[in-house]
This record gives sequence, C-alpha cells and structure tokens, in this order.
Amino acid sequence: VRLLSRNAEALFWLARYLERAASLARVIEMQSSFGGQDEERTWSWLLKLYADEERFRDSKDVTTASIIAFYVTDLGNPGSIRSSIHWARENARALRPFIPLEMWVQLNSFHASVEVMAAEPIEPARLPQVCSDIRTGCLAQLGITEGTLFQGEGYIFFKLGLMIERADQTSRLLDVKFAQASLRPVSGDPAEEFVFWSTILRTAAAYQVFNRLETGQADPERVGRFLIHNPRHPRAIGFCVRAIGNALHELGDAFQLPRSDRALEAYGALLQGLEAAEQDPNLSSRLHQFNDWIQSSLITLAAEIDGGFFRPTSPEAAREDIHGRRGATQIQSQQQS
Amino acid sequence: MATVSALKNPKTVSALAGYDPGDFHCELLGPERQPNRQIASLWHCLETSELSVLRQRAADAERELFNLGITFTVYTEKDAIDRILPFDVIPRVLSAADWKKIEAGVKQRVRALNLFLHDVYHEGKILKDGVVPKDLVLGNANYRPEMVGLDLPQHTYIHVNGTDIVRDQSGAFLVLEDNGRSPSGVSYVVENRHLMQRAFPDLMQGLRIRPVSDYGKRLLGKLREVAPEGVTDPCVVLLSPGIYNSAYFEHVFLAREMGVPLVEGRDLIVVDDRVYAHTIAGLSPVHVIYRRINDDFLDPEAFNPTSMLGVPGVLRAVRKGTVTLANAIGTGVADDKAVYAYVPRIIRYYLAEEPVLANVETHICREPEGLAYTLANLEHLVLKPVGESGGYGIVIGPKATKAELEAAAEKLKADPTNFISQPMIGLSVSPTLMDGGARPRHVDLRPYAVTGRDTWVLPGGLTRVALKEGSIVVNSSQGGGTKDTWVLAE
Repeated sequence: VRLLSRNAEALFWLARYLERAASLARVIEMQSSFGGQDEERTWSWLLKLYADEERFRDSKDVTTASIIAFYVTDLGNPGSIRSSIHWARENARALRPFIPLEMWVQLNSFHASVEVMAAEPIEPARLPQVCSDIRTGCLAQLGITEGTLFQGEGYIFFKLGLMIERADQTSRLLDVKFAQASLRPVSGDPAEEFVFWSTILRTAAAYQVFNRLETGQADPERVGRFLIHNPRHPRAIGFCVRAIGNALHELGDAFQLPRSDRALEAYGALLQGLEAAEQDPNLSSRLHQFNDWIQSSLITLAAEIDGGFFRPTSPEAAREDIHGRRGATQIQSQQQS
Repeated sequence: MATVSALKNPKTVSALAGYDPGDFHCELLGPERQPNRQIASLWHCLETSELSVLRQRAADAERELFNLGITFTVYTEKDAIDRILPFDVIPRVLSAADWKKIEAGVKQRVRALNLFLHDVYHEGKILKDGVVPKDLVLGNANYRPEMVGLDLPQHTYIHVNGTDIVRDQSGAFLVLEDNGRSPSGVSYVVENRHLMQRAFPDLMQGLRIRPVSDYGKRLLGKLREVAPEGVTDPCVVLLSPGIYNSAYFEHVFLAREMGVPLVEGRDLIVVDDRVYAHTIAGLSPVHVIYRRINDDFLDPEAFNPTSMLGVPGVLRAVRKGTVTLANAIGTGVADDKAVYAYVPRIIRYYLAEEPVLANVETHICREPEGLAYTLANLEHLVLKPVGESGGYGIVIGPKATKAELEAAAEKLKADPTNFISQPMIGLSVSPTLMDGGARPRHVDLRPYAVTGRDTWVLPGGLTRVALKEGSIVVNSSQGGGTKDTWVLAE
C-alpha cells in the first residue's frame, strides 16, 4: 500500500510544528539576549513578527513575563512553543505505526520535559537557557529523523513541511528586522550597527559562516542577500526553496506521483521570483513587498500540496478513478494478449 | 519456603523473605509448595536479590515503559494523561504440561464457538435441537441478523480470541470468560517479554522459555488466510478508532508488528461495495480489515448512524464478500455471559468431545434445577446478571448481608432467565513484588488464539495481577497490573 494521505499530512505538520517551535525559541532567545534594554520595545517586535499585536494587547501589558507566558508556556495560544510541541507530538502519535520508535521516544521525552518546564513560571533570567534547550531539543529531533526515518515518500513530506516552515520563518525575521532598522534612530556608532545586524545572523545560525564568507561586513544589503539567496546555508530562503523543488521532483519522478504537478507549478513561480530578486539592484527598497510575496507564495504552495495529496477522494471522483483504472487495465491486458 | 538464611549479610533483605501463599495455589511453587528443578534458577536468583535493588530495577523498568510510550491514555476534559500498566518483575511460569492442556483447551473452545456461530447464522441446528435456548441467541443484543446466510472465508468468525482462565485452590484451570469480539492486551504480552529481556536477563538465565515475539507475523499469516476468495496478495489493514482511544498503543503495536497500515474510518471509502484506502497515489484496494472497533460503530449506514469512527457501507462490502472483517460482525453472541454457561454443551454438540478446560461450575437459573440450587445456596454463591458487564449487579453471597441476600433472591425469582450463579473461586496467587517484599497476589491468565484455516495459540498470555492485598479484581482500571508469562519448553 502506498502512504496513507493522513500519514503524509501528519508528517508534513510534524515537521512544521517542530520547525515553528525551534524558530520561535531562536527569536525569543535573540530578543532576550541582544534585544536592548527597553522591555516593551524589545518584545513589541516579536508581536509584530508573528502579527499578534491585536490578539495580545487585548489582554495584557507587554512585559518580559507576559511575553514568556504568551509565547512559551501558554497552551491556549496556538502559536506558543508549548502548543507547537504539543501538536508535533499529537501528529507523531498518529504516526507511531509509521515512524521509527526512536523518533517517538525522543519526542515523547522532549515533550515531557517541556511540560515540566512549563509547569511553573519561567524566571526572565532563565529565558535564554530555556529557549536554547528547546532549540536543541527540536534539532535533536531533526537529527534523529535524518538518521532513522526511511527516506521514502513519507520522508519527502516531512522535508516539504520543514522547508516551507523554515523559509517562512526566515522571511518573517528579515521583514521585521528591516522594518526595525528603518524606524530606529540612526546611531552612527559602528559598534552598535554591528550588534544590530549580527543579532539577526545569530538568530538564523549564520553569524560565523557570514563572517567567514563576507569578511565580517555586516551591512543590511549583505545580510539581506545572504539570508535570502545563499544556496548552501540551511536557513536561507534560497536553500529552502531549492530543497522544496528537489522534494517535489522526487515525488513526481522517483515516486511516480502525477499529483505533484500543481505544487511544482507553484514552486516554479516561487523560484522565478527568487531569481528575479537576485538580479534586482533595488531589492532592499522593496524588501517588505518581496517578503510578503514569499510568504503568500509559500501559502499557495502548501495549499497545492494539501489539495494534491492530503485530501480524501470524494465518492464521485473515486468512482471515476476506479472505473478509469479498470478501463486502463483492460486495454493493457488486451494489448498483451 | 523462602528464608533469609541463604544470605550472608544479615543487613540485606531477600526479595522473597516472608513469602507465604497461604491456602491458595501458588503459580511459582506449584502443589508441592517447593521450587521445583525447572524454576530453581529463577527462585535462587530472586532469593539472593536484595529487595531494595530489585525494587529500584523494577522502577527503572516502569520508567522505560513510559518513555517507550507503552501506555494507555486516560482522557479527561482538560488533559490527556498517559499511564503505564503497572508491571511486576516476578514472572508467572507455566510448565510444558500445563501449557499443553491450556493450548488444547483453547483450540477446542475456539473451534466449537466458530462452529456455533456458523450454525446460528445458517440453519440454527443447535437451536432446533434445543441444546441452546433459541431466545437466548436470537433475542441477544449482539445477534446480527445482517449476518444470516453469509458464508465467511474458512467459516471463521472469531479470528482473534482471548480466553480468560483462572486456577482454583486445587490448581485446576477453569475458564471464566471467552472474549471473541476484540480482545485486547496482547501487546503487553510481547512488550513485557521484551522488557524482561532488556532489564532482567539474569532472571531468565538457565530457563528455556518459549518465545512470544512472532505474534504479529502469525496474526498476519492467519489474516491472509481469510482474504476474500480469489485475492492472492491481499491488502490487510488494522482499523483503529484513532489516537484518542485508550488502547491506541496496542493498535500501533499490532500494525507495526504486522507491517500493515493503521487506518481510521476516515482513511477508508466504500465504492461499488469494495473498500479502498485514501493514499497519496489515490485509492488503494483493501481486502482484510482487522478492526478494533465494535460492531455498533463499524458502519453508520447499517448500525449506529452517529458513529464517526466507522466506514459507511463496509457491511455491504462484507455481504458481497469483497472484504473480510476480523473478527466478523456478530461474534458477540458467542462470548455472552449467558451463552458461556452453555459452552461445555456446545463443545459436546459439535465436536462430540468432553471439554478439555472446564467452565467455572455454573448454575443456569432459567433451568429449574439451576434456579432451585441457586436459591438454596445463595449465601455460598456469586450471583451474576447476564445482561450486564463490568461487574454491575453482581451479588457475592459469602460477603452479602442477610437483607442483601433476601433482595437478591426476590430479584432472581422475578426474572430467573437473567441470572447465572457460580461458586466463589479461591484464585491462585503468584509472588508479586511489593514494598515489603514478594507477597501473594491473585492472578488470572488470558491466552490469545488466532484462527484462519486453523488455530494457533500464542505460547504465553497476559497474566493480570490484583495488586491490592486480598483483591480478586485484576482489571487495570481497578488497581491491576501485569506480569510476564513464561511457558517453559519441554
């Protein structure tokens, strides 16, 4: 039997939730360590990044404690780290007959540790450590997946979820940081400039490699281009989009799934836009529109994958499918005889 | 008997110190009340184990069960709580001779029950001959008229069966109940063994224990035997109610061991009376469904219309013979409490043999002799209503007050057909590791039998143990645990 649609969907979302939790942990860690002294300003950026300003302001003041509760431990916030890990585990639970035991055991223990951590309020001073533990936990999960999950059809859907979510997260991060840069008072102090731009690089795990490749010239233009286009940095949008393309091609070629056609079209448009942007000397001036476009293209792509592979066939389409197939087999057997 | 004398250091406490089975049959010591040659190494190993060390190892083993997710889930409004079934490290051991008898008895029972089901859904000879009362079968809530006249592959209705067996004070095996719908617990049999192998290899040393790990392979083989006619490479799936079912782990385990997809109702669709699964490549035909969903919820078209768990139209496919359900629809009429009383007669009727395993002596109150005996001896008997499950409405004579006994007698006289009565059984005990050391605790046994063309019995079974002192309730919901069950090779 081929992979059940429900399992493919769960693998896709397992990866998205893990990546979402890890990205959020990265961002909070960055803001709490390098964000500056002003509590409210530091955290307002986070609300902007996830477009949560309205939902949050309705109920609370922006303080470190309220932000921690909202983004880390609140199970009532579907976007919190704890929610993401909860839903990652629920998807993994549905996948238990499919995934290797090692993947489940790791996620089960990781989830249990997050539940223990969330049982009591987190001291702001401990926040960076908590975020770093979560980030490491998610990465360990990805490593175990790479090292144990059979790389058949299921793995491709995991990979698609992972890369779509990561491209989206990097795009949002860029968007907010550039908006932040344009609004803040110009400081003129090169040391301060360096801190600001190296922060985003650290968040995207790109600080060291950027220094090596770009000889430490962390100006907005270079940082932006690196995180958008670099084909070898695993958190750069260009890298993620190409990985999506490889996965979709594999579904079509190696796994003979014609249903990947529409998703491949959406991918083609995404790649084209990305390549055009690479040639665009004025990209930084339209970075916000570009990021908007990236994010909505990723939504379209995810919807095509969903429609092509995850939705059950309707009874009418099913009848057509079966009768079509029977007809085809008949023709084939006629040719053979 | 166990003493601490074997230990050199007087400060250490042997895990077996103070163990005394009292008046009950002990599963480890047997009728001689002495560790025999076969289990001598195990006994020695336990006797020289320090209690605190063994307790610590047991606690580690239970934590491992939790991390591995060998759990059942209790859902409340707010939370999903994963619990493990408490696991006792001291195994229950069955000799080769004892096992031979259990195996033969289980096979005989399953064979008779399958013949009975085929008969009641066809000519109904046993009813016409008056061996089993007609209304008991045809009026039974679990009787499914939809199954009348259907010929099932290999004439098998009960593909997976669990027989609940107890042992009385004399050590005799008695069948307490047949489970022919979808008996659960077999995953614990295999997982308990794996845990013992990982965590307590020292206890197993020197013993020849029959393996249980191939259950999934055997089950799959039997399920393939009952595929619809003409299907040479059948697609087998396991149908589960999904992750919110408390037995979900077992479903995962079985699907994994068989190497077949675990599906939910929403993964399947019936088109032109054939069953298909939704896959990423479109619809894929399904031929055998090992279903862990009750009849009621199986097909909203035919049974409970509000069921979201089932597959609309699956009964039509069954009736067309394009798909086999295991177990078949309507087996509940064979494992009913009232029908249970007739199983010895059912065995004699179809097989012309005496039952290998006796029932617990049962008085059928719808019969005049049974009613008279029950009324005369109520204070010594356990009175059970046949229509209830989960222990509701049971009156335990020896523990009831005079007023309770009188009320029970009134109820019984008003509706004798609704009752059976049985003597109190002094269930056998097995040494079980408690805070103060090994203590006698009551146990039962559920061997599993799988049937396609013929029947195979897993050499082992689920030993449930009542962890509360004196309790005879082994259910996990009421403080029961499990033990690994070792069947010794000859």
